[in-house]
Amino acid sequence: MKKKMNRRAFLKYSAAVGATTAISGFPAVLRAQPPEIKIASLQPVTGVISDIGISMRRGNQMAVDDINAKGGIKSMGGAKLKLLLADTEAKEEVARSEAERVIKEGAACLVGPFLSGNAMTIATLCEQRGVPFVMDVAAADDITRKGFKNTFRVFPFTTKFAESMIFYMTQIMKEKNISKIKGVVTNTGDLFGRVQGATFVKTLKEKNFPIEVLAHIEYPLGIQDLSAEVSKIKAVKPDVLFPVARPGDAKLMLRELYKQRVELQGIISPGSPGWYEPEFIRDMKALADYVMDNVPWVNPIGKMYKDVNARFSKLFPGKYIDTNSGYAYLGVLVVADALERAKSTKADDIIGALKKTYLSQDLMVGLAVTFNERGDNINADTAMIQIQEGQIKVVMPSKAAEAKYIHPMPKQLWDRGM
Amino acid sequence: MNLNLLLQLALSGFLLGGVYSLIALGLSLIFGVMKVINFAHGEMMVWGMYVAYTILVWTGIDPFFSFLVSAVILFILGYLLQRTVVNRILDFPEAMQVLPLVGMAMVFENSARIIWGPDYISPQSRFALSSLSVGPLTIDTPRLMAFSLSVIITILVLIFLKKTDMGKSIRAAADNRLGAFLVGTNVNRVYAVCFGIGTACVGTAGGLLVPLMPLSPYIGAPFTLISFIIVILGGMGSLAGAMVGGFIIGVAESIGPELITNIFHGVGLDLDFPHTMKQVVSFFILIVIMLLRPQGLFGGKRG
Repeated sequence: MKKKMNRRAFLKYSAAVGATTAISGFPAVLRAQPPEIKIASLQPVTGVISDIGISMRRGNQMAVDDINAKGGIKSMGGAKLKLLLADTEAKEEVARSEAERVIKEGAACLVGPFLSGNAMTIATLCEQRGVPFVMDVAAADDITRKGFKNTFRVFPFTTKFAESMIFYMTQIMKEKNISKIKGVVTNTGDLFGRVQGATFVKTLKEKNFPIEVLAHIEYPLGIQDLSAEVSKIKAVKPDVLFPVARPGDAKLMLRELYKQRVELQGIISPGSPGWYEPEFIRDMKALADYVMDNVPWVNPIGKMYKDVNARFSKLFPGKYIDTNSGYAYLGVLVVADALERAKSTKADDIIGALKKTYLSQDLMVGLAVTFNERGDNINADTAMIQIQEGQIKVVMPSKAAEAKYIHPMPKQLWDRGM
Repeated sequence: MNLNLLLQLALSGFLLGGVYSLIALGLSLIFGVMKVINFAHGEMMVWGMYVAYTILVWTGIDPFFSFLVSAVILFILGYLLQRTVVNRILDFPEAMQVLPLVGMAMVFENSARIIWGPDYISPQSRFALSSLSVGPLTIDTPRLMAFSLSVIITILVLIFLKKTDMGKSIRAAADNRLGAFLVGTNVNRVYAVCFGIGTACVGTAGGLLVPLMPLSPYIGAPFTLISFIIVILGGMGSLAGAMVGGFIIGVAESIGPELITNIFHGVGLDLDFPHTMKQVVSFFILIVIMLLRPQGLFGGKRG
């Protein structure tokens, strides 16, 4: 005979259990627990950029766990943070509906979402719903220039990238006695790629900088064949390639450059992912060497960096804290700091506190997080990194450099014994 | 106009077109026989890629040999998928056939993510980095090999359909399901085998693409779309159409943006046709062919 618990039996048992616990006072700890504060992590966890999305969600989650382990939000009686997880699927419309969902579920503040296009839709929605939104990563200038009052960005914006890129290029050209560089700029066709590529080209022109852009090639995000684009690069014979990429196409591009024997003095990204992830170095081996990237990198000597990175690599073998997971961690710290000072989960109080943020950190390159009137973190900065013998080294600015940069590349891709 | 560049683009596109043909052949075969569009096609190709990748990592056997294993595994997957899902929806209205297969696509995509993780992987295979120089042109060796093997396999599949008993049963069932049933063909089995062959084709193509492109669980959907375009362009259900269509789309996407830019510059327009809009070229060709020949290049008469 099958034993089933019917409704009456269930009620009887649960009443008994309830009564016992009430009398014995067993869950006293639970009852004394302070309220939970919900915040939401919106990242592209599935879809074309899911590798980065997952790494960022891990960064968000780890920061929440760390804060809770240290006693939660102390000014609110040690309230614990609860991270609501949302997946934007790298699509604008999904980003919006997921943001809508977490707001309905009671998120006091939203964090995310890596992709600038997604960030734009979430920021617009947060403005309508009056919910604070802290962008951990998303660089396109435009997002904070729409006059949004609820949106803050911890990450550098594209103009900042272009300016520091020019700063580093000036140093390279001066030290190496290069008077002029002929370059090709490539970028993916999503909002970030497009803005990052265009801003770099525009800034070069405005400053009359001696880098001549022979061609500016844009290709779709998630492209699986770059042979045509690389043939075009080869045809214009540049000295240096300035690519704005993503993890998949960065690998595709290097291999295609190898196979088509494109001679280059260097591959220097004006700032993009694709060139520093563990999988890139693992799969590309010697081909990855000498690639430079102008990124908001980790602070290699920072105490916080060392602590977070050690635990992150232990938790996720083969991974390390990079630009994206690092800023994801920092984004949640900024929210927690604002909650601590706001002493409330009301949107206005949190936004007021966010505006007054001054969060010292040595996780990432750059100084304390503090926002200007547009909501941009004025102290976010980039470093020039270079892969040298399979290791990522900060090569500029000089004061943070772990190694001297190597330019031009001493060996072409196909001379590296692969 | 840079003639060498255009030649180079045409050549790369042509070689990749051979692989597209094989992918589209599978889709066309399934549609031709069962009148079902396999919306999980691209995702199944990704499984073919992962199988070849796993073999490469575990045993060191190059994808140019292990694609056979991909084919077998994808045949089994396709066979089971037909028996469990597709066979039940054969008589449904078209709109209702779409959903289960789109659902299967999501199952394939996300189970690949669970099994192999979300990262883009570019395994080191023997030929991944080799290329040949012929005059001013560069021929990508893995591309050439993928092309040659694709063409050989496509021809083998065509011979199989023409010459063997099973092939004849498949064609009979495609032609007239009831008629084939009445003369004693085990139609359900024939359908399942046919679906298996279709997915084996795309699995093979997946294996052959491993040295060419980084794999991740989410790269399948564009391939479903592109093979769908190819099949419509060549004529729904026409195998020759799928082959020719593959080459047309391969070349058009590769050479299109540069050619159009050259035309723009030729007529004095200072405008570059962006590579982001490659697919516009494919869709444009599709629309033109649909206007001139609504049944597709090799499509038979309707009804």
